[in-house]
Amino acid sequence: MTAKEAVSAFVSDGDYIVYDFSSLTRGPQSLIREVIRQRKKELWIGAEFTLHESPLLVGAGCATRIDVGFLGYGNYIGQAVCDGRVKAYEWTNGGLALRILAGARGVPFLPTRDLLGSDNLKVSAARTIMDPYTGDPVCLVPALNPDVFFLHVHQADMFGNARIFGTNLFALEAALASFRVIVSAEEIIDTDEFRKDPMRTTVPYFLVDAVVHAPFGAYPGAMPARYEIDLEHVDRLNAIRTDEQMGKYLAENIYSVADHEEFLDLRVGAKRIRELRRRATIIEGYR
Amino acid sequence: MSRTIDFTDTEFMIAQGARLIEDGKTIFVGWGLPQVVAMLAQRLYVPNVTQLFEFGAIGPQSVLPFVRGTMGGPQNTYRSLQWLNMNWAFSYSAAGYMDYGMLGALQVDPYGNINSTHLGGTFARPTRRFAGSGGGNQVASHCWKTIIVIKHEGRRFVPKVDFLTSPGYLDGPGAREKAGLPRGTGPHRVVTSKALFGFDGETRMMTLLSVLRGVSVEEVVKDMAFRPLLSPEIGEIPPPTDDELRVLREEIDPDRFIIRGEKMSAIA
Repeated sequence: MTAKEAVSAFVSDGDYIVYDFSSLTRGPQSLIREVIRQRKKELWIGAEFTLHESPLLVGAGCATRIDVGFLGYGNYIGQAVCDGRVKAYEWTNGGLALRILAGARGVPFLPTRDLLGSDNLKVSAARTIMDPYTGDPVCLVPALNPDVFFLHVHQADMFGNARIFGTNLFALEAALASFRVIVSAEEIIDTDEFRKDPMRTTVPYFLVDAVVHAPFGAYPGAMPARYEIDLEHVDRLNAIRTDEQMGKYLAENIYSVADHEEFLDLRVGAKRIRELRRRATIIEGYR
Repeated sequence: MSRTIDFTDTEFMIAQGARLIEDGKTIFVGWGLPQVVAMLAQRLYVPNVTQLFEFGAIGPQSVLPFVRGTMGGPQNTYRSLQWLNMNWAFSYSAAGYMDYGMLGALQVDPYGNINSTHLGGTFARPTRRFAGSGGGNQVASHCWKTIIVIKHEGRRFVPKVDFLTSPGYLDGPGAREKAGLPRGTGPHRVVTSKALFGFDGETRMMTLLSVLRGVSVEEVVKDMAFRPLLSPEIGEIPPPTDDELRVLREEIDPDRFIIRGEKMSAIA
């Protein structure tokens, strides 16, 4: 499936979306840009470890609510919260990860000793109850079952079996918890490769609704062992402060190109791509 | 013969923090400055420290130079003992396996409570909004000893934080335990660009332990919006050593994205 088809078929206005990792490392950036290109509205983001995704999605008018683990980079998103253009709810990274785990297990909530004593607990829907066994206070966080989960992986087969090399935030839990899962992959491989080395399957196919072949799909972030982060492009994202700058960035990099491939051709270029691939020198652990 | 050594406030904070880490221990490392502190420590002082990052890199031997902004990147997770994910990473601290946690902060109060969420206004309509907890809440809740690294400015040392993102000793002795947090955990040291603080065992109040060589106690206290307790014997912290500065400037951050800051000097 193309990214255009996948996002059009599986993402609706008003959806709750989560994604694995960030704009700096193995984030599903080509899928996020496609969401923006299709001008989805009223999205609610579960923003664990999010960096440039939330400012872009808010700046493009796609997202209106954010469950915050880590609220993105820079002044733009901070100002949007201060202005009330986007509503932020505090959960913490660990809190969101645990909510996703509860969603994956099909239980209504999970207990934790995080969040206790903090203001995060006061402003979120987390609750303190007394542990029925010990009588001590314990925090409960409600299950999270997102509408859509985006995951960018090193390898997938045509059915959606997917492999990540390296760490992740909650790839398997979020695939289980979410109603729809879109996987984008650097490389499409044969199903037999999964059968040869099943320890390395991150997500099995029956959790996945769409597979998109997206080489360089994590750009401008790094894909471990494949290509390095484009710090120059990241600096342009970091520098966005005003709506005007945001509008300019979106027009140039997202609205004015038809798709991810055209973005790579026209806005990144083969020379830059070769350079970023060459810079990825750390292979150990990612083969 | 004495000589003057020049450095930035950031370099001093990093060097000071690096000297506090004990070899052979485990440390849960927060985003940004704490990463650089842990790198310098591992490079110079504690080769057998085990770092842990919130996205599940256990025991990496990070590649230098430091790539700014990236925590999950391949350099930072290089040669890990284990790769996991976030629910597992926080399980390591929640189960009591993290000796130290290290965090930055926007504001800190006398009980070591950390704000990294917003300044001014209300939560719904803040004056300035920042990133929020990330994994900071989990680190401060569960690590045995939390080290806070923060620039020494009056507006950062406040009687009460605008938002309590990550718990210190809350409102005093026994409060953490009463809230349900694990017994015996909590803030341990506050490393600043001028001084080092601990926490009094009885009152749980922030206590000045030592100051940078050439800086007076009054100068340190003047730059805080509350008065800390004073240790009966205030020590003297030597400035960054030649070795610390060389490793920071040549190996860890040759482009000086992280280590730049306000210029300072002290007698070496």
